[in-house]
Amino acid sequence: MDQSRTDEDQQLVARTQSGDAGAFDQLVVKYTPRLYGLVYNMTSNHEDTNDLLQDVFAKAYKAIRGFRGKSSFYTWIHSIAVNMTLNFLKKRGRRFHLSLDDVDASIQNDKEFLELTATSSPVREADLAELQRRLNEAMMKLSDEHRAVVTMFHIQGMPHAEISKILRVSEGTVRSRLFYANRQLQNYLDEFRKNPVA
Amino acid sequence: MNEFDDNEIAKLLRLKRHEQPPPGYFENFLHEFHRRQRDELLRQPLWRICLERAQDFMFRLNVPALTSYPAAVAAVLICAAVISLRVYETPAPTNLAAQARPAFTAPVNVEGEWTLASPVATRVTAQPIRKSNESAYTHSRNGGTPPRYVLDSVPVSYETAFKF
Repeated sequence: MDQSRTDEDQQLVARTQSGDAGAFDQLVVKYTPRLYGLVYNMTSNHEDTNDLLQDVFAKAYKAIRGFRGKSSFYTWIHSIAVNMTLNFLKKRGRRFHLSLDDVDASIQNDKEFLELTATSSPVREADLAELQRRLNEAMMKLSDEHRAVVTMFHIQGMPHAEISKILRVSEGTVRSRLFYANRQLQNYLDEFRKNPVA
Repeated sequence: MNEFDDNEIAKLLRLKRHEQPPPGYFENFLHEFHRRQRDELLRQPLWRICLERAQDFMFRLNVPALTSYPAAVAAVLICAAVISLRVYETPAPTNLAAQARPAFTAPVNVEGEWTLASPVATRVTAQPIRKSNESAYTHSRNGGTPPRYVLDSVPVSYETAFKF
């Protein structure tokens, strides 16, 4: 983890604890885009994500007095976000509707996007937008815990050790969940490739 | 036809990073956060707001750290006060009476013999002293045993008798 980021976070946390609300605002601005990606990919719904994020930061602001710095603020705020999202998903059950956000125009310049569409692959055979929609559906078929691991590892790019700290499980459990989730996603997408109209 | 492998799935998932919320969402998020905080504050009862303000004040002063030393001093002072009260406490008068009784009864001659060591004034019978809760009658009321009168050897008075 970037040491300068950790130091900067520690300073902002200390200022917040001493009553500087502006310092917490800086933390909110800093972590909103990243946490949005995390929560959104777990809920697949923009409105739910917005409400959850507001609740996450409100809870963090109330609890920041008790934050003693045993873990980094990054890990701490991600733990709050993941736990609150998992609780929300348990209450919501399997009821959900996808509200796919706009794909940013920068995807056209993404190296991996260019690779996927340029080389011979099943991705090129299917419409990418449709494939993304199917991928979102496949993600929502995973259990909440598996989806959390997939989101943090593949989409957020977190290392296994960081994920294990956030979820408070062993690294072995993280790897096991990741392996199982990959197999599930592979099966769903292969099914789509064989039966594109299904 | 190829199948999806782990690498391609990973690349597809990474493309989800480009899914973004509506434009201006992140810019307005902080304003929305402040608005919700204010709304929540207004919904709370007055006593709760006061309590939270007091807690904030205490936290900023770091009261727990400040109170540890005076609390320890106060505890020591209270202990010292209690101990000093016990030390200077006067003994109860009932204890003195209990200690004096054996000194009064020691020279009593149980067998009733007359000795020079036992002054007349201290010659009392070895009969137990009637307790306050005992009956005032001196003989049995059932009539089975006739009353028995005992002449006390102790004179009623030391004053010289009138002689005519």
